[in-house]
Amino acid sequence: MNESKGSVSRRGFLQGAATAAAAFAVVPRHVLGGEGQPVPPSEVFTCGLIACGSQAGEDLRSYMKDWGAQFRLLAAADVHYGRLASKKLVEYVGFTTPTKEGEKPQIQERPAEHVERYTDWRRVIERKDIDIVSIATPPHWHALMCIAAAQAGKDILCEKPMTRFIAEGRAVVTAVKRYRRVFQIGTTGRFGAARSPHSRQIHKIMRSGLLGNNCQGVYIQNGGFPIKRYCGLVNAVPEPTPKDLDWDMYCGPSPVRPYHHDRFGWNHRFYWDYEGGALADFAQHHMDPFQWIYGKDDTSPVEIESSAPPAHPECCTPWAWVELKYADGLTLVLEGKEWGQRYDRKKERRVDISDLDAEGQKKLAELPDPEPLLTFPEAVRQRKESGGHVEAAHRAITIAHLANISIRLGRKIRYDPVKEEAIGDDVANRLVYQPMREPWHL
Amino acid sequence: MPASEQLKALVEQIPDHDKGGSYVNLTPELGEAMRKLAAEILKGGRDNVLGLIDMLAEPKVGEPIKDIKPHYALHMLAVQVTDGSDDKARAEVALALASQLGGDRPKAIQKYLIQEIQVCGGKEVVESLGKMLLDPELCDDAARALAAIKDGAPEVLLAALPKVQGSGRLSVVKKLAVLKCGKAADAFKQALADADPDLRIAGGWALARIADASAADALLKAADAAKDWLRINLTDAAMSLAEALVAAGKKPEAAAIYAHIAKTRTDPAEKHLKEAAERGLAAAK
Repeated sequence: MNESKGSVSRRGFLQGAATAAAAFAVVPRHVLGGEGQPVPPSEVFTCGLIACGSQAGEDLRSYMKDWGAQFRLLAAADVHYGRLASKKLVEYVGFTTPTKEGEKPQIQERPAEHVERYTDWRRVIERKDIDIVSIATPPHWHALMCIAAAQAGKDILCEKPMTRFIAEGRAVVTAVKRYRRVFQIGTTGRFGAARSPHSRQIHKIMRSGLLGNNCQGVYIQNGGFPIKRYCGLVNAVPEPTPKDLDWDMYCGPSPVRPYHHDRFGWNHRFYWDYEGGALADFAQHHMDPFQWIYGKDDTSPVEIESSAPPAHPECCTPWAWVELKYADGLTLVLEGKEWGQRYDRKKERRVDISDLDAEGQKKLAELPDPEPLLTFPEAVRQRKESGGHVEAAHRAITIAHLANISIRLGRKIRYDPVKEEAIGDDVANRLVYQPMREPWHL
Repeated sequence: MPASEQLKALVEQIPDHDKGGSYVNLTPELGEAMRKLAAEILKGGRDNVLGLIDMLAEPKVGEPIKDIKPHYALHMLAVQVTDGSDDKARAEVALALASQLGGDRPKAIQKYLIQEIQVCGGKEVVESLGKMLLDPELCDDAARALAAIKDGAPEVLLAALPKVQGSGRLSVVKKLAVLKCGKAADAFKQALADADPDLRIAGGWALARIADASAADALLKAADAAKDWLRINLTDAAMSLAEALVAAGKKPEAAAIYAHIAKTRTDPAEKHLKEAAERGLAAAK
């Protein structure tokens, strides 16, 4: 097994786990209750963090507030030993009492000094006392960590973008469904959309099937992609690898390149090895509500065309727009607005009740309204699917991956959303599924 | 082959990157011009591909990157020839790239050539890639390219298997699994019994991928005896095998796997396995 440098030994790990368990007398959620049984309010949810960068802290703060005193952080992992050692980890221990009428109770924090720290994330997965893992690494690791977490029976909070290529997403979906884990992607746009009456109506129309394959809708995502900021450095001079960083483990399933600080940390977004530029980084945010509103959580576009210069082999480069068509006729446009000519093939046209004839409108009125979406804490407690569930998250980021495949190959792609492969384009499929570096596999 | 003056002049027409070091400065017009440049370079066929390769430089710590333009140009060529319009041109580029493997060029450059072969290569280059499986520094890159190319890859991976050791063996076994190579079933079973935990995991995963019912007992035995990361992976491999067997119409064999997991995973931390196996068992009946 690849034991990364600086990992806590097996003996040390067991001692650490025992210490943590003794200190808090934590009974993890999975020990109690049966399948599908609601979780009692007194129960404790135990969490492990994978990656301790700034995003991990943000995630902890935003995701875990709902748990309050029920939340316990037990473990953290990072390939950067220095960051792992120095990072101040906190946990939420309860609510302050409101001092004024109408004032909301505030979450109390305290340093989580008892948290066991690992340089190899697999040690977090192995721990039997952890219910939830929160994954905030660069995306080239997300799929492997999500799959392992599901296999180990953990519920999963995964930062966006969910994956680096399409086949990873399908493998995550399979694992999460196999073990009936709760999964939530790190974006929540659909929750707001699902509360909007107008969006709910479009959702209902699209899900009803009453439009058949004659949907005239054109949805234009008008900007929101910092394309210029997200172009990688083609002249990055190789640097000595920092002594407190396990570069090989950082690269993981992706090719090992010479170390450069731009490839590590926040700017990893600009390189195909780890992410996929502004498209991959922002599409999950933008497409999360789109997918819900337009009822596309279980499918993907069938034709993808883009406007962009020839792509660089390793660095993300600019693009102008991407047009994606669905089998039912709906057109989705990702408009960059920062580079090249504006998209002018079609005008935006929202789906509306008037798209249905009188009989269709009558049928629609008889259909039930969409169910409210569950937040991650609600879903974990009720053992039900979270609003940003795994299939929806996979299909949302598939849009970005398909767009990037068209950009990288400079041509139109036809895609089978059931088989999840490009049609008649073997080379496009080499980007749909990208073999991993050893010892990793999907 | 050294680059001709004509080729050097064409490469020089690729725009410089911007002051910050990225190609954010490309305009649509420059992008179009680059595509025409790539087409022009392609007219020079194999000689120009070899010339571009000769312009590549090994990246070294602390030294400026010297081959930004030929590096970019080679990739543009590799992509452009995959548009389906001229398979002969595609094969010519792929063969030219493959012809430069195994020589004295720095391994970093050879890795880049393999990366580009992974973009445009077909059956015509699998033999060349197969030879690279025997080079410990290039084995994994070559195995990944073979797994992407698929056509003809299982044969060369199988041929290399007895000759590779350590991480190379892991690479080859894994990529045979990616390709669902049934002829490698015995090798997968050997891997499952190997001393190296990564190979054991690879063996279990591979046997699940080829839906080998005869491996069920060995896989379950290995999973039962394993702990921690290894146990998690091997148990999942057994579950995957059962699913694959159901899909292949072998429900009794699948049911036996599910029944074993449902019976043996009694630790509360493995409740999800027990429950998943019970669901599988119900579906397999």
